[in-house]
Amino acid sequence: MSGESESQNEIAACTLTLDSLRVGDCAEIESIATDCDRANRMASLGFIPGRMVRVTRFAPLGDPISVQLEGQEISLRRAEARIIRVKGGA
Amino acid sequence: MNGLAESPLNKTTARPLVALVGNPNTGKSTLFNRLTGLRQHIANYPGITVEKKSGLLRVGGSSIDLLDLPGCYSLTAVSNDERVVMDVLGGRRGFQKPDLLVFILDATNLKRNLLLVSQCSELGIPALIVLNQCDAAKRNGIRIDAELLSKRLGVPVVKTVATRGQGLSELKDAIVSALESPSVLSRIPWPECITQGCGLLRAGLQNSESSELSQAEALRVLFDSDSVFACGVSDKICLKKLVDSAHKSIRDSGLNPGSAEAVIHYRHLDSLLEGVVEASGPIARSHDSIDALLLNRVWGTLIFLSVMYVVFQSLYSWSAPLMDLIDLGTSAAQDFIGPSLSSTPALQSLVCDGIIAGVGGVLIFLPQILILFFFIALLEDTGYMARAAFLVDKLFSWCGLNGRSFVPLLSSYACAIPGVMATRTLSDPKARLTTILMAPFMSCSARLPVYILLIGTFIEPLYGPLVAGAVLFAMHFVGLALALPLAWLLNTFFLKIKTQPFILEMPDYRVPTLRNIFHRMWERGREFVLRAGTVILAFSILIWSLLYFPRDPSVEEQTTQSFLREAAANHSEVEIQDALKNPTSELNQVLTHRIDSAYIEQSYLGRFGKAVQPVFDPAGFDWKITVGVLSSFPAREVIIATMGIIYNLGADVDEGSDDLRSVLQNEKWTSGPRKGEPVFTLPVVLGIMVFFALCMQCGATVAIIARELNWRWAAFSFFGMTGLAWLGAVLIYQIGRLI
Repeated sequence: MSGESESQNEIAACTLTLDSLRVGDCAEIESIATDCDRANRMASLGFIPGRMVRVTRFAPLGDPISVQLEGQEISLRRAEARIIRVKGGA
Repeated sequence: MNGLAESPLNKTTARPLVALVGNPNTGKSTLFNRLTGLRQHIANYPGITVEKKSGLLRVGGSSIDLLDLPGCYSLTAVSNDERVVMDVLGGRRGFQKPDLLVFILDATNLKRNLLLVSQCSELGIPALIVLNQCDAAKRNGIRIDAELLSKRLGVPVVKTVATRGQGLSELKDAIVSALESPSVLSRIPWPECITQGCGLLRAGLQNSESSELSQAEALRVLFDSDSVFACGVSDKICLKKLVDSAHKSIRDSGLNPGSAEAVIHYRHLDSLLEGVVEASGPIARSHDSIDALLLNRVWGTLIFLSVMYVVFQSLYSWSAPLMDLIDLGTSAAQDFIGPSLSSTPALQSLVCDGIIAGVGGVLIFLPQILILFFFIALLEDTGYMARAAFLVDKLFSWCGLNGRSFVPLLSSYACAIPGVMATRTLSDPKARLTTILMAPFMSCSARLPVYILLIGTFIEPLYGPLVAGAVLFAMHFVGLALALPLAWLLNTFFLKIKTQPFILEMPDYRVPTLRNIFHRMWERGREFVLRAGTVILAFSILIWSLLYFPRDPSVEEQTTQSFLREAAANHSEVEIQDALKNPTSELNQVLTHRIDSAYIEQSYLGRFGKAVQPVFDPAGFDWKITVGVLSSFPAREVIIATMGIIYNLGADVDEGSDDLRSVLQNEKWTSGPRKGEPVFTLPVVLGIMVFFALCMQCGATVAIIARELNWRWAAFSFFGMTGLAWLGAVLIYQIGRLI
């Protein structure tokens, strides 16, 4: 799991997806990848461009992940985190 | 099935209709309970299994119909829950359009809660805003200027703390005055490209069979073109063309059609909330430190396991005294009423073995249902349920279930009835459906007596207690081991329902109120008795009649005569006559047991069992096992009593009974190619156990699945599991014979 995220870090240095961040990483949402109904759903929960997200923890088995968004703690699966593109992971 | 049920929504009443709308976890249901008290009506929306809660609100001299709509984050209608919201708000499909919308908002998270309000502003229905959980907001250092908010939104705003009943009378007054002098939400300004897109859709869909789209509905079709709502509006091909061209013009203006709606709403809300919400410093979240412990890889897992252990123990063991009490009550009622009907044996048997036993068979589930819903309410109200789902989601996600499936499946190890009912906590319809279908595979406590009887009789004497224990343990995992891959198969190849993203909002930790918890228990218990209970009762009366009739009196005569001939060989005539006069004598009891056994053999079910024995022959079952298996279809725990009757021991045997065990060990085939060989060989014994592990021998579970889903799924589950069980038993027997 961690090996996978590291390799993705190297490939896309400036644009990452939310699932590739590590615990404690903070990043700005850049865009939502697809324009399916999942995108609309994620966006209505508050995952919209310009907002900051912070990865707070992974579940014991590595999936789902928990993030903080606008003071809200939200858990989502890596499959869903993957459609959110972020920048400036630090 | 539900289409016939009279729906208060469909009839036009003089009473005004007020709908409660809001996100999940906002205290909407608590507020609904507070407003209506116990004057509630729970039903399903016609044709779908979404729960419809309506009630009566009395203010002063007038009464108002209150409707609690399913909680949703937005109007995006992926699931039926959300579709219901859209259909009710749009006044579609025969629903009466509400006269007033009461939005319940979580004051601690105002902006996201307002998204739904902002979407609904297009509807033009009069509205009222409730800021709930104002105490928690205050604790978190959030101050909200309700007056300014009211001015900007254009509708009244009321503050409440639903759990403590604060602000209730103000809310009631506000509802009354909002009905008298309604005000609508101010609309949000849409960019040109979106207004154009909506116009395009409305013009394009005008000629289709559905009535003209409102602006609000056009927006839904534009942004959720593959949602259930949009699919109901027009045929797919025509819709896709229109939506694609509308999306193209949105994309040309530099917006992403996928997220454009939310982005525009949130941008609007950012300016709307300017000066309304004031947070003193960074929001101090009380739950961060608790989460650090409860969601910790090690401690969180340990705490989770302990919590679940307590839930399971209480379901499995602590419910036992209550269930024994109900059993006692049932037999007391039978003993009390039975003698007065002894002149008409058929009526006596119907009342005692059919009706009273059936009612007892319904009530017996209540303790576990109440205990489980006590814990579910407790876990949900404290906020732990979402954390638990987060911890174990990965265990289930691969096969189409999710973290919320854990509690229902765990409960099903005690009993599938509360387990299936507990799936109400799953909001994803696909995961809920799969969880319901998998629940009966979990080894419930009613299977235990069968395992104990067979393992104790055949495995322990041969292989010792260690192997016996291991087999018993393994039997508990047979169902689970098969259920999860089956769920995967079902989800991957058969279910055409769209998977929903599994997104959990971690609610703040809260102190639960007893009032809420007891309301949940009352609601579920009542619903079970009234709705599922009637079906279960009907089942048990049906099975009783199949086991009782035709009851030809010649069966008794013939059995008695052949018994007397047999007895004459060992006893003098005087001895026999004396024994028959004394109902407690050994001879008399043996005769009674023989007669009972002969009646079962001659009953419709017994005849059916004999007729279908060839079907079970590949599993090595003789007709007695077949009848035992068939008679335990309404409830698997009756197999022991049925076997007692079939093997001439009477119904009062249990799984530890030495008589029953020795009879089983000595049972031999009386005819056919295997004549003289023992019936219960190891492959047969293992086959019977696997059959019981996989078979849906529980009328109550069939009834509850039909109630929670529909009769088609109940039939699918019943026949599917029975087929699997048969296959399992046959495979084991055939392979066992080769070894």
